[in-house]
Amino acid sequence: MNIRHHPDESLLLAYAGGASDEATGLIIATHMVFCAQCRRSVALMEKIGGGLLDTLPAAPLSAAARDAVLARLDEPAPAPARLPPSRDGTPGVLRSYLGGDLSDVRWRRMGPSLAYKPLFKRDGISAKLLRGAPGTEVGHHTHRGQEFTLVLSGGFSDITGSYGPGDLQIADGTLRHSPIADPGEDCINLAVTTAPLKFENLIQKIAGPLFGF
Amino acid sequence: MDALLRRVAEAKDRAAFAALFDHFAPRIKSYLMRLGAPPSQAEDLAQEAMLSLWRKAHLFDASKASAATWLFTIARNLRIDAIRREKRPELDPQDFEPEAEPDADAVITLAADEVRLRAALKTLPPDQAAVIEQSFFADKPHSQIASEQGIPLGTVKSRLRLAMARLKAALGDAS
Repeated sequence: MNIRHHPDESLLLAYAGGASDEATGLIIATHMVFCAQCRRSVALMEKIGGGLLDTLPAAPLSAAARDAVLARLDEPAPAPARLPPSRDGTPGVLRSYLGGDLSDVRWRRMGPSLAYKPLFKRDGISAKLLRGAPGTEVGHHTHRGQEFTLVLSGGFSDITGSYGPGDLQIADGTLRHSPIADPGEDCINLAVTTAPLKFENLIQKIAGPLFGF
Repeated sequence: MDALLRRVAEAKDRAAFAALFDHFAPRIKSYLMRLGAPPSQAEDLAQEAMLSLWRKAHLFDASKASAATWLFTIARNLRIDAIRREKRPELDPQDFEPEAEPDADAVITLAADEVRLRAALKTLPPDQAAVIEQSFFADKPHSQIASEQGIPLGTVKSRLRLAMARLKAALGDAS
């Protein structure tokens, strides 16, 4: 897989350290499904984590803590919950949020060629799926916060370049763009936004907040 | 520590487990509190992490990570679980082809790598170490680290880059 656009090192560090917020963690983990290079980087950062763990000052546990765990060693381990296998290759990390496969998603229409599926919103940060028909133009917008977009299938292009499956675009207040879905097949993206987008077109200005953008 | 973990895996050795507990549980608690967990939750999760180590010890693969690194990822995932209840953005190993299995030589190299990494962590200049720790444990945007330390944003980024380059070099990974 030829991935051209990666998360930066600080995003990977926060993910490896367990400090990412949930939505950002989801998009980084999904990128890593596509990207062996970032999996290797995170594995290296986890070793840094192991090293830091070994050197952290100890925070003593209560006196009974160790005996309480020793007393539980013979308890049977709980069975791990697993979804049935995917039929269309949807990454498992995403399936735990969808409750199934990408091909089973019940999309909400947003105009003739765009559809979306909200996943969750916590602490003002939202994660959703977006689907654009080939050639769909989203419309010029800027950003109040950060917008992360990960291509799951198909692709899109804007003034910063072109993005295919596994590529992650990081947009912030400095970027004004109007992404266009590539021809050929639907472009399906996972999008994480930390604040609503600012559309320039009047209809989108009104409709955006209704759809949660 | 790796030898103690092997004794837990191979012989369900409770004395070895107790020794691992004494070393790691207080450090896991300390790590989780840095991530923002309240002390009582950090203690509960440290206990859960050690219980998980006992149950999963047979899965420990010394060719991939040290005991400290393995336990670090267990504790991190338990914390994420606690925040997200049952859902978490954790990689599913079934999602991609496994990397080629390292051979016995690689295991020895890995142990040496981690020793060099620890040494490199200890010798990082304090300003670089601070930027690594804050990115790692606190997920602070670089702009916030910059304003808290009263240094320009570019300095934060260059310190992080320098620190990562030193740590990667310590692991013999120049990529």
